[in-house]
Amino acid sequence: MGFPRHMTTRQPRVPLHLSLVRPIRRRWRRLGRRPACDATRHPPRPPYALSGNRNSGSPSSQCAGCCVMALQPSIEPFNRLVRLAARAFYDDVSMKGDNQPKTSRGDNRGMAVVVLDALTRRPWVREEDLAKALKLHSKQLRRILRFFEEEKLVTRDHRKENAKGTKQHNTAAAAASDGQPVTNKEGEEKVKMHTHSYCCLDYAQICDVVRYRIHRMKKKLKDELDSRNTIQHYICPSCNKRYSAFDALQLVSFTDEYFHCEICNGELVAESDKLASEEMGDGDDNARKRRREKLKDMQQRIEEQLKPLVAQLDRVKNLPAPEFGSLQTWERANIGAFPNGDLGAADSSRNSQGQYGTPMPYMGETKVEVEMLGDGVKEEGAESGKNGSELKVLPPWMIKDGMNLTKEQRGETSKASQFGENSEVKDDKKQDSKDDQSIQEEYIKAYYEALKKKHDEASNNKVKTEVDIPVSDSQSERQVGKKYKREDDDEGIEWEEQQHTGNSTETYKLADLNAEAQESGDDEDDNEWEDG
Amino acid sequence: MFFHIVLERNMQLHPRHFGPHLRDKLVSKLIKDVEGTCSGRHGFVVAITGVEDVGKGLIREGTGFVTFPVKYQCVVFRPFKGEILEAVVTMVNKMGFFAEAGPVQIFVSNHLIPDDMEFQSGDVPNYTTSDGSVKIQKESEVRLKIIGTRVDATEIFCIGTIKDDFLGVISDPGAAV
Repeated sequence: MGFPRHMTTRQPRVPLHLSLVRPIRRRWRRLGRRPACDATRHPPRPPYALSGNRNSGSPSSQCAGCCVMALQPSIEPFNRLVRLAARAFYDDVSMKGDNQPKTSRGDNRGMAVVVLDALTRRPWVREEDLAKALKLHSKQLRRILRFFEEEKLVTRDHRKENAKGTKQHNTAAAAASDGQPVTNKEGEEKVKMHTHSYCCLDYAQICDVVRYRIHRMKKKLKDELDSRNTIQHYICPSCNKRYSAFDALQLVSFTDEYFHCEICNGELVAESDKLASEEMGDGDDNARKRRREKLKDMQQRIEEQLKPLVAQLDRVKNLPAPEFGSLQTWERANIGAFPNGDLGAADSSRNSQGQYGTPMPYMGETKVEVEMLGDGVKEEGAESGKNGSELKVLPPWMIKDGMNLTKEQRGETSKASQFGENSEVKDDKKQDSKDDQSIQEEYIKAYYEALKKKHDEASNNKVKTEVDIPVSDSQSERQVGKKYKREDDDEGIEWEEQQHTGNSTETYKLADLNAEAQESGDDEDDNEWEDG
Repeated sequence: MFFHIVLERNMQLHPRHFGPHLRDKLVSKLIKDVEGTCSGRHGFVVAITGVEDVGKGLIREGTGFVTFPVKYQCVVFRPFKGEILEAVVTMVNKMGFFAEAGPVQIFVSNHLIPDDMEFQSGDVPNYTTSDGSVKIQKESEVRLKIIGTRVDATEIFCIGTIKDDFLGVISDPGAAV
């Protein structure tokens, strides 16, 4: 007909302001914490785009991807399911082994519930981190996690990695939760490989497991009540061997009226149903009746107590379970979701982990970003973890051939456009290019320019102009192979001025430049080395 | 339950039987070999009703035996889970009783015997109701339901129950006059 689709739906129109508020708050409540991205980042939902059930529909419709969590289908109903199941079934899981009953000191029953709750908030968390967060001993935590792994609620991954890998994981985890870049703290590089264990809830399996468990419980009760179709099992008390009624023919003995074990000839005991066999009271009738009543009562209690869990299961039944994938895919996905571009480092140095043998994306421990246009941008300084200060001018003796240095390091101002171009050109070249001659000439040109500028500028730029002295002299110096000592600024300047008028020989200039360059080398610390 | 099916078998015949009555000899050998046996897949072969086809004989190398592939029709008996059978009690035990329904043995454990029947040992062990009206002893006929079968390669064994409606003793031994 041509009517837009929203006009034909029967849902009521919502005033505009509400639509702005409601989706955000809804998501807030669902996720249980601050939304990873605020409303300003994506447009508000139109008033006609209502979702009737707050549990259905993923928030990905709202957020195009600036928020990592939004890429998952809605996780909150599943988290609620996990929490309900934990409290229903696992609230008496004791953490100590059964051989240490220390109830007087207070056992930690119910820690399993706390662990599960913590896991609902963290995908793919390292076990040590979890232990720290929950203030548990890692051994106890590991026992609990192993128990849950056997119950199929949790998937674990054990990975050999060194400190780098763990840092990577930290950044990935931070990305997942905050959506902001994380400063990599520089530790010392360890070559030792520790086995780290990671764990994550497996939502799809959890739904199935919980449903199966409830089904088995109800079936067992029903069978007990009906007391039909259950095959008897027998146990030998001495050697603990289990027999079923099918083996009865082999077990029957003619001497006695009991079944005897094949191995030890001990009398077998019928393995009776534990639910119903408590009292064998006075008369058979009474016992039987009591058993039936007990079973019925248990059935009712089960129905009642499991009602919220069953309801949650129903709600969740049709939703796709959130998938976190394996540890590696999750890490990669989250590293890629940095809003600021750490991608450059990650991509470019992807293969530098070769020596450790693990295919993990490189997280840029040593940052060697080079700023072409020299605006004094300090961005990468933080990442390299060494400093937050400006790039320092490299002393000439630190500069090797073929290094890509920033202008600041070389001691040139941004106004030296020509040099800027030159440096750009240089930077564009591969680091292997060692065209010393051309470099030298450029430096010489720049030097003269800088000197000219110095005359014009006041003392403010004194440092800079001093810095202007092209550091190529270090290169030339290297050629010359001279060593020289540092001098004061004034001295240097004076000397330079004196010399300025006279000479054009390279060597003579070199002497100047040497003297000049020394002083300026201290000003900045940042040595950014590139792998040449 | 009983089935009438077609089975196939390779029969080996010694050369001394070769002659004008080769086929008869073959059929009798088949009957002797197969009747009364049990295969897990088809059940107990109760009787061979006819021979459909006898294929060409193949002389085996090294020996003079000849192998004939024979197709035959037979009646088999195979019990299934959930089936209701009448059986005859063969042994009564404290743990339950054994009954036989033709070639198959069924065991009914005491927890699948109605609760009002108690075991009474003696020279004739039996299960009796409290008022003595119903008694299960050797040679009683009993209707029971099969709740599980165990099928080996050459053996079938069943577990039964009499705890449902319409199950239990049909007739007493020696009561029928």
